[in-house]
Amino acid sequence: MTALHVRVSDFSKTYKTRRDEIEAIRAVDMDVRETEFVSILGPSGCGKSTLLMAVGGLLPMSGGRIEIAGQLVTGPRRDTGVVFQSPVLMPWRSILNNVLFPIECLGLSLGEYRRRAIELLEMTDLDKFRDDYPSELSGGMQQRVAICRALIHNPSLLLMDEPFSALDAMTRDAMNQELLRIWEEFKKTVLFVTHSIREAVYLSDRVFVMSPRPAVISRVVDIALPRPRDLSIEETPEFNAYVTELRQAIEG
Amino acid sequence: MENTKENGLANYLAVRAPQIAAPTIISTLLLVVWQVGVEVLNIPEAILPTPLRILETIVLRWELLLLHSWPTLSECLFGFALAVAVGMGLGILLALSQLFRVGVYPLIVAFQVVPKVALAPLFIVWFGLGMTSRVLLAFVIAFFPMVVNTYAGIQSTDPIMVRMARASSATRWTIFRKIEFPTALPYIFSGLKIGITFAVIGIIVAEFVTAQEGLGYLIVFSEGNVDTPMLMAALIVLSLIGVILYAAIGGLEKLIIRWDVGQKM
Repeated sequence: MTALHVRVSDFSKTYKTRRDEIEAIRAVDMDVRETEFVSILGPSGCGKSTLLMAVGGLLPMSGGRIEIAGQLVTGPRRDTGVVFQSPVLMPWRSILNNVLFPIECLGLSLGEYRRRAIELLEMTDLDKFRDDYPSELSGGMQQRVAICRALIHNPSLLLMDEPFSALDAMTRDAMNQELLRIWEEFKKTVLFVTHSIREAVYLSDRVFVMSPRPAVISRVVDIALPRPRDLSIEETPEFNAYVTELRQAIEG
Repeated sequence: MENTKENGLANYLAVRAPQIAAPTIISTLLLVVWQVGVEVLNIPEAILPTPLRILETIVLRWELLLLHSWPTLSECLFGFALAVAVGMGLGILLALSQLFRVGVYPLIVAFQVVPKVALAPLFIVWFGLGMTSRVLLAFVIAFFPMVVNTYAGIQSTDPIMVRMARASSATRWTIFRKIEFPTALPYIFSGLKIGITFAVIGIIVAEFVTAQEGLGYLIVFSEGNVDTPMLMAALIVLSLIGVILYAAIGGLEKLIIRWDVGQKM
């Protein structure tokens, strides 16, 4: 059993609106071990992205505590990489310079990381586009660039906020496969937010099911499917048993 | 892309040729109508000189036109540069500082309501008939579009982009320099294009009023002498200066903004 990487305890989030307070998330507990692939699954608007952003130190929390590698999260951390729902690439930068952006922010040596950026782009089959602008790439390619950018400073924790939800089904399948390949190679801890049950089962070691507002973790399911996985696993009865179990958990 | 270079050029010409030919033909036609119309109707030169007569004036009296073009051009650029520096500075401060937004923005808007041209006599009282008054008038007219466009440009930054930068531990300064400023650049260039046009207006009005030198002065002076061909020649040189300045900014914009501005990532 590997060491604990992320610990969320008694996390809550309340939004203030003009009229009243909305309790978005109530008392969430969650432990993620090193190199584990964990998905947070729930209906749209249940606050799973809020939880993820709080783990990334990008949103203030209303209550509870979040620790990464034993340290309290107080803001964005250098050992964390984030992939958002949209690629958020800077249209004025070449692909390579988009990937290198975190290196500039962190004040690391560009020369040193240029090699790594090119390797990451090669691994995701994008190296021939490295001098192009993002607008010249398809949506799936842009999101691959965003993944390279999240990995460039070699973070141990990767936070992914429905990164493939805007893509068509076929591209999405390909991206899921590619993500698993990258994960097998780098052995990062991944916290992955999705509202797709199949995606969660295909990717994860464990799936945390979040209920609608005020959100709590209603169920944790271990996905004991063999790895490495490819898409054919989606045809197996075991896979579909997990899908059924999660669907029932969501529907309560 | 198997196209050879000549093929590309041929394609380019096939597309561009009508775009160039149509306005050329139409403006030539208009000039011919003007020339013939004035001659046939026997319109006096003091009312409307023919295009050929204006051309003749430009060719024969180019030294006088050039003499008055320099102060107009240099004062215009001076006032414009001042407007860009102050306007962009204010726009950035407005975007970055809540205090500034609350405290200073209403004043800037209130100032914008004043018709700037009406300030010319006041400037003469304060700064005399010299260059200072003219440059300042160009400045006050040109600076507002710079403020507003810089501010609006920075405001248009995608909040998700800022969040992405924060996730990479970017500092506030880095976010401004590497996200907000490049986002604002297309807006800033629109501001520059409006600003340069306004600066020319400012200088000309100031030259009317101060009556010392420059194309604006040449225009009122020619009017006084009933030298309409010279008046129109000065007008044409002035328009040329305006077009060149505008085109220079357009060229700079093409050089700097090479990405697809419309696309949201």
